[in-house]
Amino acid sequence: MKKGHLFAALLGALTVVLILIGTEWPVPSAAAYAGGGGLLRSSSTPEETAANLVDEIRMQAWDKAYASLANKAQFTEDEFKRDITGYYPSLRTYATLESFEVTPLHESADEAEIRVKLHWSTVVGVSVSTRDLHMMRNGDHWEAEWPIVKEAVVPPQVIPVNYLRWDVIYRGPGDDWGIQDVEAPHVRIVDMHPVERAEGLVILGELLNEDVVPANVSVTATLLSKSQSPIATEGSFDKISHLLLPKQVTPFLIEFSNVTLSQVGSVRMVPTSSLVSASADPVIEIEDQQLNPAPGASLTGQLINQSGQIVNVAHVLGTFYDKTGQVVWVADEYIDRALLPQTPIPFEIHIPQDLASQVSSQRTVVATYSSGGSQ
Amino acid sequence: MSLILLTVVVVHLPLLLMKLPLQSYDANFHIFFASHYVHHWFNPWNPKWYAGFSQTTYPPLTQQWVALVSRILGLDMAYMAVQFAAIVLLALGVYRFSLLWVSARAASIAALASVFLGSESFLVYSAGQLGTTCAAPIYLNALPFLFEWIRQGKWRSFLKASVLFTAAAAAHHATLLFGSFFFAVPVLVLVFLDRQDDERVSASAFVGRTAAIAVVVGAAIAVVLLPFWIALIHNPVTQAPIPHPSRANYILSPQWGLNYFIVPYGALILALPFIFIRGSMVTRLRPLLIGFWVAFMVGLGGTTPVGHILLGRAFDVLTMERFSYWATLLALPFVGLLASELIDRYRSWAVVSLTVAAALSCALAVSWATYRPADAEDFKVDTVALWLNRDGHDQYRYITLGFGNKIARLAVMTDASSVDGEWNSGRTLPELTQFGGGALTSSKYFNKAGLDALRAMLMHADHYGLKWVFVRDHYYDPLLSFAGWRQVDSLEDKTITVWSKDGVPPATPVNSAQMPPHWQGLMWGILPFGSSLLAILVIFIPERRRGMRRSNDSFSSDKLLAERMAS
Repeated sequence: MKKGHLFAALLGALTVVLILIGTEWPVPSAAAYAGGGGLLRSSSTPEETAANLVDEIRMQAWDKAYASLANKAQFTEDEFKRDITGYYPSLRTYATLESFEVTPLHESADEAEIRVKLHWSTVVGVSVSTRDLHMMRNGDHWEAEWPIVKEAVVPPQVIPVNYLRWDVIYRGPGDDWGIQDVEAPHVRIVDMHPVERAEGLVILGELLNEDVVPANVSVTATLLSKSQSPIATEGSFDKISHLLLPKQVTPFLIEFSNVTLSQVGSVRMVPTSSLVSASADPVIEIEDQQLNPAPGASLTGQLINQSGQIVNVAHVLGTFYDKTGQVVWVADEYIDRALLPQTPIPFEIHIPQDLASQVSSQRTVVATYSSGGSQ
Repeated sequence: MSLILLTVVVVHLPLLLMKLPLQSYDANFHIFFASHYVHHWFNPWNPKWYAGFSQTTYPPLTQQWVALVSRILGLDMAYMAVQFAAIVLLALGVYRFSLLWVSARAASIAALASVFLGSESFLVYSAGQLGTTCAAPIYLNALPFLFEWIRQGKWRSFLKASVLFTAAAAAHHATLLFGSFFFAVPVLVLVFLDRQDDERVSASAFVGRTAAIAVVVGAAIAVVLLPFWIALIHNPVTQAPIPHPSRANYILSPQWGLNYFIVPYGALILALPFIFIRGSMVTRLRPLLIGFWVAFMVGLGGTTPVGHILLGRAFDVLTMERFSYWATLLALPFVGLLASELIDRYRSWAVVSLTVAAALSCALAVSWATYRPADAEDFKVDTVALWLNRDGHDQYRYITLGFGNKIARLAVMTDASSVDGEWNSGRTLPELTQFGGGALTSSKYFNKAGLDALRAMLMHADHYGLKWVFVRDHYYDPLLSFAGWRQVDSLEDKTITVWSKDGVPPATPVNSAQMPPHWQGLMWGILPFGSSLLAILVIFIPERRRGMRRSNDSFSSDKLLAERMAS
C-alpha cells in the first residue's frame, strides 16, 4: 500500500474511532444533551432499566418511556405523561428533571423494587418527588411497572362563595408606579431574632398587618457591625407571605450567607407595605397537621382548596415556636400539584434536626397563585 | 474574479437588503455594541447591560465600522453593509489562500464556492457572527503574504501580513488565536515543503522569519487590543460554563447534528472522502488536510472527545460552529480541485450538478433562520422602550423574561439600564456568573442554573435598583408573585406584563471599579479602527507578480500528479 493510501486509511479510521468513542462515552456537555448516556444503553439490571426510564422522562421522550413500561396496558400514554407533568397547570407542568437517584429496595431473580428520587427544577426552586417502581424480568432484560396515580375527578357541584374583597382605585395608566400617593398600610414586626446556622446567619420573625386594609409586605434586614457600619442587606424574598389581609400575621426568614453572629452588633429591620387589591378567596383549609419528631422531623398535613377555582401553585409556610412562644424556625414547601376544589393534597415541611427538639407548637399559613391573577 | 464578485452581489446583496441577518442570534448584539460606539466612541463603558460593563471585553473593529457607516445608512443597514464587505472579502481571501495550494482555476472555483458556502450563510443569517465572518476573510488574505515573507523574505509581504493579521485580531481575537493553528501552521509547513528552483528555504531563514513575524504581530496585537487584555486579566473567564448545543453529540442528539453539521456543511459533506484521499495522496496538501481535519473534529462538538481534549476548559466556553466554519474554509481548496477535475471529466453535467449542489447548500443555510429561528415568535419591543423612557421609569433598572435576543434591540431603543444582557463574557455581577445560566430573559432554558441566577438577581433587586420586570412568558409569574412583585401594567395587547417591586431605590452606578480609564478609551477608539485603515492603505502598495507566479509554479507538479490520479 502506498504511503498516501495508508495515511488516508489511518486518518479515516481514526475519525471513525473517535466518533465511536464520543458516542458511546460522550463528554459531559454532550451527555447532558443526550440524556446522560451513550448510544447503547443496557437494561440488564433493574437499576439500569429504571435509570433509562427516568432518562427518557428527563428528555421528555414520552413515547419511548411509555413503550418500555411493563404495565402500559393499564393506562394510556397521555395518562402516563399527565401523571408526571400534572393534569392541570402547576409547577410540575413546566418543570425539568434536573437529576435523579436510583435506590434498590428489594431484588430477587425475577422481580425487584426500585425507588427513584426525582429532583425537578421548577421556577420557584427544586422540587423532589419519589416513586417506587416494581421491576419485572422479561427474558434477558428488565421492565418497569409505573405506579400511576390517576387524578381524582371532582363531581359537578355548586360552591357558594362568601368572602371579603378589597378593591383599590388607582389614578390610571399614567400613574407613577414608583411611589403611591396613599398612606401605606400599618404593619409591625411582632417578633424577630437572629439564629446562627452552618450556612450563615438567619433572621427569623413575624410581621403583623395592623391595618384594616390589605397590604403587600416585605421585610429587609441590614446587619450592622459593632461600629454600626453595614455588613450586608438582604430581603425576605419568598420566605414570607407577601399578601397580608387585615390583622393577618406572616412569618419571615432572611438569610445572610457567610456571616457569623459575632460579627454583628445590631440589626436594622425595615418592613415595607403598600396598599393592594385583595380578596380572601381562595380559602385553603389546613387539616390533619402533625409535628413528627426526629429523626426526619417534619410538619405534615393536608391542604384542601375550599373555593371553586383551581389553585395552580400553593406555598406553605410553617412557623415553629418553642415552649415560651418564641419563633425558633421558619420553613416552607411549594406544592408542585394544582389544588383542585375539595381535593386534599398532602404537604410535608422539614424541620432541621438540631432544632426539632425545641419545637413545641407551630402555625401554618398558605400563599397561593392562580394563573390569570396572583394572590 | 469579477464574475465571482458579481455572484456575491447577486446572491447576498438582496438577502442583506432584506435585512435577513436581523433575525439571527447575534446580529442585534453587534448592533447594540455599535450603537454605543455611535454615541461614545472613546468611552467603552456601557451602562445599559449588567448594571454597567466594559465593551473592551469584545474586539471592536466590526462594531466600530458599523457605528461609522451608520452615520450614513442607519444602524441596521450599516450592519448589512459591513457584513456584505466581509462576504466580498471572503471570496477574495479564499481565492488567494487557495492559490497557495491549488491551481488558479481551482482557486477561482473555490472562491466561487465560498459564495454558496453553507457555513458562511449559517453564520451570517442564523448565527449573526459578524466578528467571525469579518475576521476570517482578513486572515485568509493575510496568509499569502505570510507565505511570501517566509519563502522569499519580501519586506512588503511582511508589512502586509503583519497589518492584516492585526486587523483580523481587532475584528475577532479567537479567529487569530485558533487560525494560527488551523491556517497558519499548514502554510508554514507548506513553505518548508515547497521547493523554489529545486531549493527549499533554509532552516535558519525559516525560523528567523517565522519568529520575526510572530513577535511583531504578537506585539502589535498586544498593543492594539491592550484594553481587551487588561480586562481579561482583571476579569478572567472563570464564570460557570453555560451549556450550548454546539457541544452536543450530533449522533445522540440528531437535531443538533442537523443544525451544526448538515446545514453548515451542506453538499460539502459529499466531498469529504475526496478531501481525505486527495489530501493524503498529495504531499503538499497534507498540511492543509491536517489543519482541516483538526478543525473538522473540533467542530463536531461533543461527537468526538477531540474538542474536549484539545481545548480543555475552553471547550465549555467557546461555541463550536466557528470551528466548522474554519474547517469548511480549509476544505475549499479541495473543493476547487474536485470541481475542477469533475468539470474536466464530465463537462456540462458536472457544472450543472455542482451548481445545483452549491445552490441547495446555500439555500438550506439561508432558509435555516426561518425553519429554526432564533426567536420562536417575532414581536416588537418599541412599546416597552417607550414605557421605560417615560415618566422617569428609566431611573430604575429592568429585566425582561421571555424576550430572547430581543433584549439587545430593546437596549438600543431605551435609555434605561438592565442587569441582564447577552454578552456573557462581559458579566461580572456574581448573581449572573456563579450558576452557569445564560441571559436572565431565557432563564428557564438553562434549567436550575438559569433559575438560580434569576432568583439570586431578584433577591438583590434593591441593591441594583431593579424595579421593573417585563414578562412575555407567564412561566415566571409564580416566582414573581411569591417573591413579592406585583403586576402594574400591560403592553402590546396584554402579551407583555409589567411587574414592579415596592421600596426599590433608584439605580446607582455599580461596577465602577471595572470602568476602563480614559487612556484605555482613547486606545480603544483609535488603535483597532486605525489598524483597519492601515490595512486598507498597505494593501495598495504595489505588489511584484513574481512571488505569486512562484506559487503557481510550485503547484504545477502536484497538479500534474492530481490529474494523473484523477484519470
